[in-house]
Amino acid sequence: MFRPFTAQALVGMVAALAAMLLLPLVSTDPYLMHVMVLVMIFGIFASAWNLVTGFAGLKTFGHHAFFGLGAYGSALMAIHLGLSPWLTLWLGGLLAGAAGLLIGTPILRIRSMPHVAIVTLGFAEIVRICIANLSGLTRGEMGLWGIPQFQGFTLPVVGKVSFTPADKVSFYYLALALTVLTLFVIVRLMRSKTGLAILAMRDGEDAAESLGVNLTRLKLLVFGLSAFIVGIAGGFYAHYLSILTPHSVVGVDLMISIIAMVLVGGLGTFSGPLVGALVLTVLIEALRDLENYRLLGYGLLIVLIVMFLPRGIVTLRERLSFRQQEQANHGS
Amino acid sequence: MNLAIFLEQILNGLITGSMYALIGSGIALVYGTMRVLNLAHGEFYMLGGYFTFYLIVQIGLSPLLAIPLAVAIAFCLGALIQKLTIEYLIVRENWAFTTIAATLGLSIVLQNAALLMFGEQFNTVPYYVQGVMSIGDIRLPWQRVLIFVVALATIAGMTWLLKYTRLGWSIRATSQDRDAAQVVGIPVRRIYMICFGLAAALGALAAAMLAPINAINPWAGIPILLKGFVVVILGGLGSFPGAIIGGLFLGVVEAVGVQLTSSEWRDVISFTLMIAVIWWRPWGVFGTK
Repeated sequence: MFRPFTAQALVGMVAALAAMLLLPLVSTDPYLMHVMVLVMIFGIFASAWNLVTGFAGLKTFGHHAFFGLGAYGSALMAIHLGLSPWLTLWLGGLLAGAAGLLIGTPILRIRSMPHVAIVTLGFAEIVRICIANLSGLTRGEMGLWGIPQFQGFTLPVVGKVSFTPADKVSFYYLALALTVLTLFVIVRLMRSKTGLAILAMRDGEDAAESLGVNLTRLKLLVFGLSAFIVGIAGGFYAHYLSILTPHSVVGVDLMISIIAMVLVGGLGTFSGPLVGALVLTVLIEALRDLENYRLLGYGLLIVLIVMFLPRGIVTLRERLSFRQQEQANHGS
Repeated sequence: MNLAIFLEQILNGLITGSMYALIGSGIALVYGTMRVLNLAHGEFYMLGGYFTFYLIVQIGLSPLLAIPLAVAIAFCLGALIQKLTIEYLIVRENWAFTTIAATLGLSIVLQNAALLMFGEQFNTVPYYVQGVMSIGDIRLPWQRVLIFVVALATIAGMTWLLKYTRLGWSIRATSQDRDAAQVVGIPVRRIYMICFGLAAALGALAAAMLAPINAINPWAGIPILLKGFVVVILGGLGSFPGAIIGGLFLGVVEAVGVQLTSSEWRDVISFTLMIAVIWWRPWGVFGTK
């Protein structure tokens, strides 16, 4: 993590960012914009899940709880308190982060991966059932609709920016800003001294603790930050689609998609979750007719990736070149 | 509240709890021996339910024949799935995570395969026994009594198997120390396969017994899996006796909790109980440190 970015990686990052910035100039097709906004929402979610699972080694399977809390939290605050979505987005994130700390405290002080997996799953189920049952507040399974949109504003050069279903481009740039911000925070964290401690904790808890790493505090920090980021993604999702159901934001299906994305892209890498989100979301859109087989495909992908390509596709090239080198060595 | 109704609810809780105990003991068996958290356990329940449904309703077998057959199929399927997936993952470095992820993927595959094969409708089986038992004011359908009796007999059988047979000794030796077991010549790999099969069989049996009461659909395994997790947390992860007591306890707590609130909060009650237990005694209410 402390290795300076190689020239190749830097060029890759700049090129990817430039491509994303320029995409709307090539085409503002609403469908394309919609797919890309979804890719970025899932990309943020996947990056945050990768932070806890891939970097910190806390294998949680219930992060959709925080997505739902962020989404419903932000939407309900905007509807009932009349606050601006620009504010509730962050409040929803804070709500999710606080819930992350609350649920993280009991499980993170014990060193048992199965406990973490079970409790996070159970917590997500509690959140889903509460949202479904408290129908006076959330309209339950009927779905919460009429969620306020982000208010528009005027920028010096661009002119008026508005956020309505017809203006997908402004949502696109907002999502891009959030994605870049998320990635910036994660990269900065992981390349700092704390990041080194996080990796040390993942690779050897006892060794890390003996060197003075406060495990519980570090785990809570990572877990809370990740929940906060996922909550922001959820809030953005709520104000973008302006309709929520308990199943769409706190369903296990969502978590499965995210896990598949991260595993396909590459667990424990910076670019993996984003690449995974892009590949799987675009693939699904391309194979629309096979909607019935979508989850079956995700499940198979998870099993196959775990068995045959545990480091994901972003490490594929490295592995291939390594293999070629090996063969060359054998040949000489 | 009427005392008879209250007692009836407690009894119903114990009966549901006996099924939770079967589910939980399957999870505990696999975790205890292999240290693998099987997220696909609920799907063995779901498939067991479908096997029972097809054997009884479509083929017309008697339940006496159909249930053992469904359980046997589930055993083979469980063993086969273990052989094809977990077998390879468990020897790798990162096995603790990869096995959880792989069983999660498997569970999604099995759910959606069932959806494609069997459709999304709810299927039930006719009651195995008719009539209602009454003691004083307490009335219980014989079907529920039968569920309880079968659960107790299965638990007794499993306990006997684990305590007094060579297979049981091998399983317990493997769970205590895998390497030492291997040294004394226990075929650890085969024990893993058998344990996975046994767990699947226990899940399928629970489904077969509950099929007349709880309709089977492709997603029937999800709530069951989560309940099984609550049970193993209560009983101490990986403890077979803990899972039995945990299951019965959870059944009673839910029955009382539902009396005090309403049935739609049932799952929230059990998951909150689980999180409270993790705060208070992470090694389980009935487990030892």
